[in-house]
Amino acid sequence: MSIEVSGKTLETDEDGYLADIGEWEPEVAQSMARTDGIELTEAHWVVLNILRDYYIEYQSAPAIRVLNKTIGKKVGKDKGNSKYVYGLFPEGPAVQACKYAGLPKPTGCV
Amino acid sequence: MTHATLERGINALREQIDAPVAAFFNSCVNCGICAEACLFYTESGNPVYTPIHKLEPMRRLWEQEYTLVGRIRKMLGLSKAITDEELREWEELVYDGCSLCGRCSMVCPVGNDITYMLRKMREGMAASGNAPEGLIGATTRAVKLGSPMGVKVVALQAQAKHVKNDTGLEIPFDKEGADYMVLLSSMEIINYPEYLAAIARILDQAGKSWTVSTEAFEATNAGIQIGVSDIARELVSRVVAAAEKLKVKTIVSPECGHAYTAIRWEGPNLIGRPFAFKVRHIVEVLDELRKEGLLKTEGLEEDHLTFHDPCQLVRRGGVVDQPRNLLKMVSQNFSEMEDCGQMNWCCGAGGGVSANERADELRSKAFLRKKSQLDKLNVDTIVTACANCRIQLEEGLEEHEMEIPVVGLTEMIADHLVVKEQSEGGT
Repeated sequence: MSIEVSGKTLETDEDGYLADIGEWEPEVAQSMARTDGIELTEAHWVVLNILRDYYIEYQSAPAIRVLNKTIGKKVGKDKGNSKYVYGLFPEGPAVQACKYAGLPKPTGCV
Repeated sequence: MTHATLERGINALREQIDAPVAAFFNSCVNCGICAEACLFYTESGNPVYTPIHKLEPMRRLWEQEYTLVGRIRKMLGLSKAITDEELREWEELVYDGCSLCGRCSMVCPVGNDITYMLRKMREGMAASGNAPEGLIGATTRAVKLGSPMGVKVVALQAQAKHVKNDTGLEIPFDKEGADYMVLLSSMEIINYPEYLAAIARILDQAGKSWTVSTEAFEATNAGIQIGVSDIARELVSRVVAAAEKLKVKTIVSPECGHAYTAIRWEGPNLIGRPFAFKVRHIVEVLDELRKEGLLKTEGLEEDHLTFHDPCQLVRRGGVVDQPRNLLKMVSQNFSEMEDCGQMNWCCGAGGGVSANERADELRSKAFLRKKSQLDKLNVDTIVTACANCRIQLEEGLEEHEMEIPVVGLTEMIADHLVVKEQSEGGT
């Protein structure tokens, strides 16, 4: 499978996750979100950037608890919970947010 | 895993019918008491989750091949052969509807170790290709990447850096001759990094040398959960090889239930020889340090606490008093859960259930048993000693909007350590 972003063809796995995280650019997230009918706001980008920073350091997607905690630290404790994340990404942090952020399909945790 | 077929599955099941299994089937009086001991039955109300019923295909194979009546019934066509379809149907009972918690074995009036049989039944299920996708994925990652969650050594090293920044303590990787070789579960590396920091602080204060092997840091054993002994053996062998290479005295199993069972009880049997080192659960190590006077704490928790006993610790390992001795050091308001200790109810996520997404709904139903225990207590904080129990408790509590934090025992002890004075030891 593949997707078309800014005139380039990017390989994805069968679930639509980018095959090479190195090919990611913000337009990838924009394009995937458009397909799902979601408009990415500042709040979405906070989550996507947390996911990318974490992945670059740990080579793994964060666990949901760690993701929530980090969001809480960045944008306020009242937002550090799964409800907030699901509000932004209705299909959840693993299925949707990681995909937009260019991460491979998470195994087990998020 | 090699190609799975019905024939291989039946052969595997046949191989699993050893003397204890044959004696257990022979002794079963069909009383059904095991049903009431199983939270998948009590919380769903569905009799298919009666523990002994989950073994029905294996029981029939035993009857047809090892009993006279069974042979005759088979000849007359009164007893059906096992089919692929039947095993597919049983897969959900054997994997989704059993956390290998061991409660059924405790109540059986004729002393059948039903959990032992279920663990063996899974060998046949896996060999016939009837195992859940989530667990197959976890097992494959454990073999190929060294972690069921795909956590690489990079993640561990990154956490070690954070521990260094937060505590000033170095995580001693690959150190020969250490007293303890500490194992971790992926869940701890990725979800509860507080554990690593807690261990570092406790062992530093106790003056013990320790190490983490970069070649074998993972404690969990997906081979045990899915029921493939070859893989279970391979995963245990990696840990044994690392411990022998580093010449450590004791392996410390982390706050994880099945990892302890895998390395401590199944480990030597899997590799076919005794270990040259000791294996202890972290809670046992902490209690030994307490006895030696090497664990100095100060201050008491103000919260009303309870302790959730991980099944593999209390029922397989007999580790009941140790966590309570430790909790006494740091608590003043502690209540036991109903059925605590040896008969404590499972969180609902053990034995590979949490790795199997298909079981999510049943797993959350199984949590209702824990919820009803907690509802009676009205505690402020739950303490446990298994990362898998902890995540199940956290998820269940969140689902029911119960705001009760869950804390690991090691972490709680570390929070109360007497701060070392600079002058201590004269250096």
